Amino acid sequence: MTDFSIRSDNVDVEQIMRQIRARIREKRGVDYTEEEIRELANVKLEKFLDPRGVRSDLLEQFRRKREASLPPNFKFEDTTLFETHRGLLAFIRRLLRPILKLFFNPNPLIDALHIQSKLNAQQAALEPLYYEVIHNLVLETTRLGIDVKNLKMRVESMSSRLDFDERRARALEGVVQYRPGAVAPLQPPSGGGDSREARGPESPEQSERRNRRRRRRGRRRPDDRTGAMGPQGAMGARSARGATSAEGATSAEGAAPAPEAERVPSESGYSSDRGLTPGGQSDDRGLTPVHRDPDGEPSES
Amino acid sequence: MKLAVAAQRYGADINGGAELHARYIAERLSRHADVEVVTTCARDYVTWKNERPEGVEQVNGIPVRRFPVTHERDPNHFGRLSRRVFDQPHSIADEIAWLESEGPASPAMIDYLERSSSQFDFILLFSYRYYHAWHGARRVPSKALLVPTAERDAAIGLGIFGPTFRGVRAVMYNSHEERAMIHAATRNEEVPGVVVGVGSDIPARTDSERFRRKHNLRKPFAIYVGRIDENKGCKELFDFFLRYANTFPRGLDLVLIGSAIIPIPQHPRIHHLGFLPDDDKFDAIAASDLLIMPSYFESLSMVALEAWALGRPVLANGRCDVLKGQCIRSGAGLYYERYEEFAETLYALESNGPLHARLGRNGRDYFTQHYTWPVIERKYLDMFDRLKREDASGARRRVESIGGWFARRQRSQPAAAEVLAKIPSTAVVPGSRSAGNLSRSA
Repeated sequence: MTDFSIRSDNVDVEQIMRQIRARIREKRGVDYTEEEIRELANVKLEKFLDPRGVRSDLLEQFRRKREASLPPNFKFEDTTLFETHRGLLAFIRRLLRPILKLFFNPNPLIDALHIQSKLNAQQAALEPLYYEVIHNLVLETTRLGIDVKNLKMRVESMSSRLDFDERRARALEGVVQYRPGAVAPLQPPSGGGDSREARGPESPEQSERRNRRRRRRGRRRPDDRTGAMGPQGAMGARSARGATSAEGATSAEGAAPAPEAERVPSESGYSSDRGLTPGGQSDDRGLTPVHRDPDGEPSES
Repeated sequence: MKLAVAAQRYGADINGGAELHARYIAERLSRHADVEVVTTCARDYVTWKNERPEGVEQVNGIPVRRFPVTHERDPNHFGRLSRRVFDQPHSIADEIAWLESEGPASPAMIDYLERSSSQFDFILLFSYRYYHAWHGARRVPSKALLVPTAERDAAIGLGIFGPTFRGVRAVMYNSHEERAMIHAATRNEEVPGVVVGVGSDIPARTDSERFRRKHNLRKPFAIYVGRIDENKGCKELFDFFLRYANTFPRGLDLVLIGSAIIPIPQHPRIHHLGFLPDDDKFDAIAASDLLIMPSYFESLSMVALEAWALGRPVLANGRCDVLKGQCIRSGAGLYYERYEEFAETLYALESNGPLHARLGRNGRDYFTQHYTWPVIERKYLDMFDRLKREDASGARRRVESIGGWFARRQRSQPAAAEVLAKIPSTAVVPGSRSAGNLSRSA
């Protein structure tokens, strides 16, 4: 994780911005600008998405089809059938219209075509909206696809780290050696017939073996929740919070008076609570940011 | 020494950036010379309607001579001409028509400047893109000093402005980025120029507690000061801040000061206080944790300078090369270009105390070194001295001709937006190629 701290009088804003950008890249996995995402959505979706789900050239096809299949709408009124730009012909048609109506009734035809014309107009008005919706959907799908890919990578990375940590923890457990005097001797349970005193002094090897047995026994008890959730777990949580606050506001309050720049949260005020970053994807610790009062002093918001 | 300051609008109640700049400079230079302000009767920068009486009046002890505007701006006509000159190949005549349509067209003001030019040692013309500056520079080039207040917009790509920039006696730039842009657009490197900017009347004492009590603001906040407008990047600011607030429920509030042109989102952490007098504004900045400057186009942000003067860091829009350059050169601000950067930088300023304190201190130092009034005044006076020496040596400047009747009507000019696109947009930082004379003229 890239962090920055202010230690000298010279602030290199460009350097800070580079670090901030590196941090964003690290958080997002791959750093795409809005324009790049649009480009990806329009051109090469299949590289990033499951090609079974979305056609990569969907937008292009839609656009082409729309442009190709857009005949001009025909506005149809009751006079349309008889219209002409020639005045004489219009007069004759008007004159003969009653005779025409002796043969058939054109009104239902006119009504139907009028309604069709209106429907066409409505459809034409809706099409840009469909286009926009599809465009946005494809864009968002692309974005989500990229996010999913990044998240998968992160999950893989975290699980491999977890595996590694577990292996490391086991290995460390294996090499722990008891050193007399390093840890206060455990007090035996009172009145036990098999107390150490009763059995006499034991060698360091014996003590180490017993400690291991005890640890294993403790691990085997599935119903013993106090080991995980009891005082130690709570303390662990508390100490974690304490650590953060020590890096953050509390340390500043607790510290002796110092120059202004040193009184404020800490040089790692930005880095210590990295889970709190405004991107916020990874934070669930419920920590609060450290605010300063207008003179640069820290205070809890 | 007698100076004329020509501006498109002028008045104690006019707070537009360039106009305020002109007023500050006029008032400050009046301590060293006789200053007369020449301006129009307009008050509204959109319509240029004549709202003030013609003639001479005193504004803060400076004589201000007003001339009427011959026609108000017709937005439709201006829009049509803008599209033509910015987006299509066009002629010089089109550009002149655009300038006339933009206004404020006041031939009487230009006639006065020409007629009385012999009375003045120098004429300071503010805002290159307006009628008075272009015509004034062409009529009296031997006395004209241009304060361009140029932003990175397509107008700088218009062909008519090249001869103006090359023909005036000197150019007083607001920032290194502005100078680099004008050099690239007009090739006027030969013209004497200096990066000056403008100072601000920072009060000796501010009362942030009073401000907090008055407006019932208890939580730490970031502040935006200025017109709340889409052009100023406020829409993007709201979008980013709302996302930030949702992600980070206990972070900074956002306080907005200025008149709102666009609707402000209703959110418990966004507080709009409207337009405030200067005292309140400075108290507000002093009470804030940082200033956010979301504008895409600035030739110089006075409010950013004021924030630095008060020791507050600035979070600027990195797409504005001027603001970005100032943040880098001063070491007193961070910048963002998209949401992720906005969130990270805001969080850094909010939570990293040493960084905040250091940036604030750097801002104060930067303001003291470059933007206090004695520094600004000295730069102007030095430039006047230099030009007087040139006068004594007989050097003269002429503005190039823009061609005859037929030449002006040939569609020989490329779309201004295309010209602008070819001008590199980069912050001028120490070590970069464009920063060759950074130290000399900072």
